[in-house]
Amino acid sequence: MSEVKTANIDLSSLIKGQENLKFADEEIMLHTKDLKVFYGDKEAVHGITMEIPKNCVTAFIGPSGCGKSTLLRCFNRMNDLVDNCSIGGEIILDDRNIYGKDVEVAELRRRVGMVFQKPNPFPKSIYENVAYGLRIQGVKKKRIIDETVEWALKSAALWDEVKDRLHESALGLSGGQQQRLVIARTIAVKPEVLLLDEPASALDPISTLKIEELIHELKKDFTIIIVTHNMQQAARVSDYTAFMYMGDLIEFGVTDTLFTNPEKKQTEDYITGRFG
Amino acid sequence: MKISISKWTKSGSPWVWLNAGAVAISVIMVVCLIGLIAIRGLAHFWPADVIQATYVEKGNRSTVIGEVVQIEQVNATQLRDAGIKVALGIDSLERKLLKTGNRDIGGIDFSWALARDLSDINTPAMLFTAERYEWGNLYGFLRSLKQGDTVVNEYTGYDKSSQYMGLWLQLDKSLLRAQRIRDKILDIEKDQIGSINHQFERLRLKKRSMQLDDIADSGVSAEMALKSSELAAQYKVLEDKLVSLYSEINRDSISVEVSTGAVIDVPVANLVRIFRANDMNQFNKAVHYVEKVWEFVSEDPREANTEGGIFPAIFGTVMMVILMSIMVTPFGVVAAVYLSEYAKQGFLTRLIRIAVNNLAGVPSIVYGVFGLGFFVYLLGGSIDQLFYPEALPSPTFGTGGLLWASITLALLTVPVVIVATEEGLSRIPSALKEGSLALGATKAETLFKIILPMTSPAMMTGVILAIARAAGEVAPLMLVGVVKLAPTLPLNMNYPYLHLDQKIMHLGFHIYDVGFQSPNVEAARPLVYATAFLLILVIALLNLSAVAIRNRLREKYKALEM
Repeated sequence: MSEVKTANIDLSSLIKGQENLKFADEEIMLHTKDLKVFYGDKEAVHGITMEIPKNCVTAFIGPSGCGKSTLLRCFNRMNDLVDNCSIGGEIILDDRNIYGKDVEVAELRRRVGMVFQKPNPFPKSIYENVAYGLRIQGVKKKRIIDETVEWALKSAALWDEVKDRLHESALGLSGGQQQRLVIARTIAVKPEVLLLDEPASALDPISTLKIEELIHELKKDFTIIIVTHNMQQAARVSDYTAFMYMGDLIEFGVTDTLFTNPEKKQTEDYITGRFG
Repeated sequence: MKISISKWTKSGSPWVWLNAGAVAISVIMVVCLIGLIAIRGLAHFWPADVIQATYVEKGNRSTVIGEVVQIEQVNATQLRDAGIKVALGIDSLERKLLKTGNRDIGGIDFSWALARDLSDINTPAMLFTAERYEWGNLYGFLRSLKQGDTVVNEYTGYDKSSQYMGLWLQLDKSLLRAQRIRDKILDIEKDQIGSINHQFERLRLKKRSMQLDDIADSGVSAEMALKSSELAAQYKVLEDKLVSLYSEINRDSISVEVSTGAVIDVPVANLVRIFRANDMNQFNKAVHYVEKVWEFVSEDPREANTEGGIFPAIFGTVMMVILMSIMVTPFGVVAAVYLSEYAKQGFLTRLIRIAVNNLAGVPSIVYGVFGLGFFVYLLGGSIDQLFYPEALPSPTFGTGGLLWASITLALLTVPVVIVATEEGLSRIPSALKEGSLALGATKAETLFKIILPMTSPAMMTGVILAIARAAGEVAPLMLVGVVKLAPTLPLNMNYPYLHLDQKIMHLGFHIYDVGFQSPNVEAARPLVYATAFLLILVIALLNLSAVAIRNRLREKYKALEM
């Protein structure tokens, strides 16, 4: 309990900590301003202000229930689907608040793609899974779809494994392959941001490794935000790391610094495994 | 001993036995039900031996000819009470039900006879059974074949001689000829004259509607008059043809010696088929059996539905169920989608759900009353006023018909489809919904591309249940469009091909009508079983095809175990 109290007291210094990390405007992809998330009356995320840099991997870490997935789901308004969920504050993407009134949610989600914890391929063929987003956008030309499907599957490092059975059901793939297929499906619509919600937690170590390598490759083209329970994974794949605790952003910084020399005691306690 | 019983109870085997026993009893009951119906119904078509016997009743001797339909034991006291002398010490006597036919002579088709009163029972090979278009079966010996008034051939004996067989051969030829002419007559009467009548009716209605609208277009009137006279001319030609065909078909007749010894004349045109059951071997009987079964499923009924086939009833049932499915599926699915995907979940939606579930429990006759009051009188009446004023006062849609019967059934089964579809919708993993939305699909796109295809097996389950309920429903149909006899099919070659306003026959109602409204209950009883068996068969076939579709859909979208 005493640690919770310190968290509240330390809020002022926390903002200072963030100020150490200053991005130029053109480097910023997403900018949250005092973002609050409520489930009914309960506030799950308490006013987070942070900047997500472009073409980098940003990892959110923290114990279960700290609000990191909730925060992630705010970036493409997935929380809209939760019945009693309401949002306060702003998230700025391209100088516009994505929670503004004139924002089209479908268009936003095309720009900010998301991969979920459990692989969720559609009960269609591998090809149709990847082509789904294109067809939704009204792409009719077979040649374009073919090319994009191939590019997406290659980018997701899945092409070699499935090129001979593109028209077989996606449900016949292994868990790791399915997750890479979902990534391919997501990048096929060429989003700007890729949200990964514990993408490897349901996979075996080898598949996990492949996903991590993939994240490394993909950051050239996309801004990636990853939520993970696995601190080694965060350390391996991310450029920046945000540590969250009980709905607060405790510390945000360059991954190496945060893991080797955390500013906050809570961060240190968490990454050294003293709690969480 | 006590310990072992408690152990046995603990092991769970009594529970297993109980469950297995319940399943076994259900299965046995279903098998018995179908078996009984099938045997009783299908045995009817097997050609039974025809016996000739001497019958002595209160000292009077007479000869009886007929098929033994049923044998039962009667209590002696009961007989004594009826004034029949039964020796003391005898508890019961055997009694036989004979189908004696020859209704035109004796007045009744069936009669009971005590077995002890029947003697000299034999089965003469040349004794024949004739099925007739009128007056039911005829039993007797063939005596002669006549063309007009001239006797072509005759024979007086009872033995199977070559001369007698020659007479039979000539009869077969004459019968074949009569049947060919009958086919021609039917073709003219039903199709050609039917079509002309249909066009006449449409002309009349057009004229009437012009009158009602106060349109006086001389050009159109002249054209219609021309068309009318054309049709009249066509009709005249066909009528003349018919007259000559009728005189041709009535050319031949046979004379038959019946059980009383009298000889009567019967026109060949009146014969459906004539056969000597006693003279048939098993193969011939089997062929005859197949012919009879085929007649049963493919022909129109005759003789107040107690003879012939039930094709219009099969057709009507299937047609109605298919129409019902076409109407109920989209309606139920759309309602379920709204309830579970769009509507805000709360008190009101819960109330609606409860209402829907309770709707499934409303007695079906209530739906019939509603259908009659709302669909037939109100909707149908308004449709007639608006669109068919020229036909009034005779109603077009303002009376029961295929459309109203199907809609009433659709209403009756819509809760089933809603519940099944909602069940299916709730089983779709939300991960898939989110996956689709996360790719930039709108809710509607997600619904149409992911959710609805995956829910289709559940929808089919709903349709299967709906079919099972609708096909067996009789009570509401009696009020909204099913009738005793409607040999004209609702689907034919006359514009507009599908006649939704037409009344139809239905297997379920046919069972009721034949079994309980028929003037000839004894003759109809096997048909009740046969029709019931067929009804089960039709429902099973409809259901199996729906199940086949569902299985294919399941195969396609088997992602639900995620």
